[in-house]
Amino acid sequence: MAEVLIDKLCKSYGSAEILKDIDLKVEDGSFVVLVGPSGCGKSTLLRCIAGLEPISAGGMTIGGRQVKNLPPAKREIAMVFQSYALYPHMDVKGNMAFGLRFAGTPKAEIEARVAEAARILQLEPLLKRRPRELSGGQRQRVAIGRAIVRKPQVFLFDEPLSNLDAALRINTRVEIAKLHKLLNATIVYVTHDQVEAMTLADKIVVMNKGRIEQAGKPLDLYYKPANLFVAGFIGSPAMNFLEGHVTGSGRVEAAGSGLTLRLPSSCKPGDKVTLGVRPEHMNLGAAPGPLLQAQVDLIERLGETGYAHLRLPTGQVVISEVRGEPGHVTGDSISVGFDPVRCHIFDAAGRRIE
Amino acid sequence: MRKPASAIAVHAILGLYTVLALFPIVLVVMNSFKAKRAIFNTPLQPPMPWNFDPIGYAKVFGDSAITSYYLNSLVVTTGTIFMTLLFGAMAAWALTEYKFRWNTLLALYLSIGIMVPIRLGSVAIIQLVSDLNMINTLSALVLVYTAQSLPLSIFILSEFIAQIPKDLREAGRCDGLTEFHIFFYIVLPLIRPAMATVAVFTMIPVWNDLWFPLLLAPTNGKQTITLGVQQFLGQYITDWNAVLAALSTAIIPVLILYVIFSRQLIRGLTSGAVK
Amino acid sequence: MSRTAYLLLLAVFLAPAVIIYSTFSIYPLLATIFNSFYDRQDDGTSLFVGLSNFTTLLSDPTWSAPFWNAFRNNCLFFLIHMCVQNPIGLVLAALLSLPRLNLRATYRTLIFMPTMLSVVVIGFSWQLILSPLWGVAKMFLSFFGLGFLFGPWLGEESTALLTISLISVWQFVGIPMILIYTALLAIPDELIDAATVDGLNQFQAFIWVKLPLILPTLGLVSVLTFVNNFNAFDLIYAMKGALAGPNFSADIMGTLFYRVFFGNQLQLGDTSMGSAIATMMFLIILTGVMIYLFVIQRRMHRYSF
Repeated sequence: MAEVLIDKLCKSYGSAEILKDIDLKVEDGSFVVLVGPSGCGKSTLLRCIAGLEPISAGGMTIGGRQVKNLPPAKREIAMVFQSYALYPHMDVKGNMAFGLRFAGTPKAEIEARVAEAARILQLEPLLKRRPRELSGGQRQRVAIGRAIVRKPQVFLFDEPLSNLDAALRINTRVEIAKLHKLLNATIVYVTHDQVEAMTLADKIVVMNKGRIEQAGKPLDLYYKPANLFVAGFIGSPAMNFLEGHVTGSGRVEAAGSGLTLRLPSSCKPGDKVTLGVRPEHMNLGAAPGPLLQAQVDLIERLGETGYAHLRLPTGQVVISEVRGEPGHVTGDSISVGFDPVRCHIFDAAGRRIE
Repeated sequence: MRKPASAIAVHAILGLYTVLALFPIVLVVMNSFKAKRAIFNTPLQPPMPWNFDPIGYAKVFGDSAITSYYLNSLVVTTGTIFMTLLFGAMAAWALTEYKFRWNTLLALYLSIGIMVPIRLGSVAIIQLVSDLNMINTLSALVLVYTAQSLPLSIFILSEFIAQIPKDLREAGRCDGLTEFHIFFYIVLPLIRPAMATVAVFTMIPVWNDLWFPLLLAPTNGKQTITLGVQQFLGQYITDWNAVLAALSTAIIPVLILYVIFSRQLIRGLTSGAVK
Repeated sequence: MSRTAYLLLLAVFLAPAVIIYSTFSIYPLLATIFNSFYDRQDDGTSLFVGLSNFTTLLSDPTWSAPFWNAFRNNCLFFLIHMCVQNPIGLVLAALLSLPRLNLRATYRTLIFMPTMLSVVVIGFSWQLILSPLWGVAKMFLSFFGLGFLFGPWLGEESTALLTISLISVWQFVGIPMILIYTALLAIPDELIDAATVDGLNQFQAFIWVKLPLILPTLGLVSVLTFVNNFNAFDLIYAMKGALAGPNFSADIMGTLFYRVFFGNQLQLGDTSMGSAIATMMFLIILTGVMIYLFVIQRRMHRYSF
């Protein structure tokens, strides 16, 4: 296994810049997940690492070796595709052995590696089947098996779970996590599903419009989002944002009420700020911090927890997590509050203020 | 194309073949506008003011009924397209939408014509057409061509109709539409792209066909343009101006139509899988 | 909806197509086969003669010689298409489907152009180009220093069929090209990416991944070529007339059928023998289609992506 270092990588198609100045370190043996909305460039970045897309500028090393000009097969990577990309005219064994045959691996070695991968992935009874005779989950395992037999330095996964149904997705997610431990593999994994990102990753890389917005441990991103984009992207339902401005030392007016918060001294009166509060940190009724008046728009009950959609006097809707049976109905006037400690503050440019 | 050398090789091959494909056509059209001496002495030179001579066209449009042959072809082709599309879509709709006992068998029966060319029945077609007193009529051609085009058009249209969401038709039924309304107001508008494709597929062989005009309407001013040109060429075989002009008159309209509709045609052929 | 109304509805939708198709396609086909078992008498009546039209066709030298000649020529015609037209179509399609190719649409449109034109027009244009009178072909060859190769190809027994076949190949290469091109486009990019990661270059990926996946299309192209070739007529008739060229050297089934049925300078028209030849053509085409359906297609897997 090896580490991947990406240095000032740029990628453009004609005049369209798809990736801008990407710097990223994937530590040896770590599981790095690239997330972001569709079109953010995460898949393109993965394909650049694979060597399927040439990069326009910058460099990239895998295990200390500059791979910028190497073809995919020489980069010691293996890739699992979204559609699995199994060769429909070959059986499971043929699919797994195909790349090795072209690399000139001795026959006995191929047999051994395929058998090993089949054992790990419980594919032994399926080796003679064709892809169309397999279920979605089985195809997924073959695709992973095809990657394992190559004994790559780095595994690349391109949204591997998005073609599976919900139950199978959770199962496979657990399998991939176990596999990571078992193989002690370096993995770069692309997804748009933040639950996958949070549960699998050692390090999450949030991307937007071809740039890295923030990279860090999952909980760091959750507790200390570096900017408005990451704050809004990580967490479900999304963080509530309240527009406001600084009125005095430590005082902010937001959502039509004056709130007292601990603000750093850099904030001057008149500065525009955005307050971010996660639904799970907004409480109906009493709270250690400021209270807002609101009207219940809708209550979604999921069982033990639920979400209350609340309309503030400004017309903005905020979401608050509720526990147990809230006892409110649509139209009720209530007060909602939050703990200032749990509140994220962003400046006019969207950057986090500590 | 990453390596410029291989890219150049690919373009060289494709370019050469394109030249090979176009050269004869360009040569004929080019020389049809030239004086006889220029045709023979400098065949590769494009028409220029000093060698320009439209005498061939004067002959083609003066001596023969080429214009009326065009009209005949137009009538036959549009007639065939109209009947093929309407009847083909109706049958395709019935076969896809309604369940009845002979459904599969009927579909199979209708698809025989895709593989077996109707030409093989020519002997009986002539007898039939003469029994119906339809020799030398354009309607006979339209009927035969419709019979020839129906199988493929039913096959293609069925595939498209099957893709129309069931909900749309059910919604129509809930709104109180009759089956005929559903067909004409919901189904037909939705399969318009497929109809365009079928229309092009139907048009080309019909417009270009020599066999049936030769058998069914060979004289009496009912010739189609393809047959008319063929007969004209036979008569004027030694008059190169006239021959080249006659060929060009047959080529140019098709080329113009092709340039206009090529995108649609190729998209139909590649069924949407255009990259 | 009542049962009667339902049946009426079905009838209205299906009747026009079924009636026209049955009357002008299936009935004539059956009637032709039926005719081939009868002998039309001079007084206009027909006499059932069983298979005797066929035995005449296959064994009486005045009939069997032209028949086998046409059959052999037709097989050659088909063989040339299979060996020249379809490989060229495959190569062009493979090149056209390369990723990041500029001018793709232009090449595609222009190469397909001859396919759109009438066979009559194509045949005559080539006749002019190859004519020693005009000398364009000779001029062209001389330009490459190959002028000595030029001959009256269309006029000589040994080369007439080959020349006409190649002209037909030139005209119709667009059809296999487009069909194969479509099949190649349907192969997902990810599969080729996977092959690239597996270490294959473009050419290897084509041979080992794409080619096996488009085998069903190649089968379809072959059977279409077969049906079209054994049904061909227009090009030879347009270039060489019903007599099909010096000493019948370019005679194929379609021209033989036309000549026998309509008659010509050498013989009177013969409905019964015409029907017998048409029936033979039907059987040949049917055999080809059956081989395709039951032998070739069964062995091939059609992959959905």
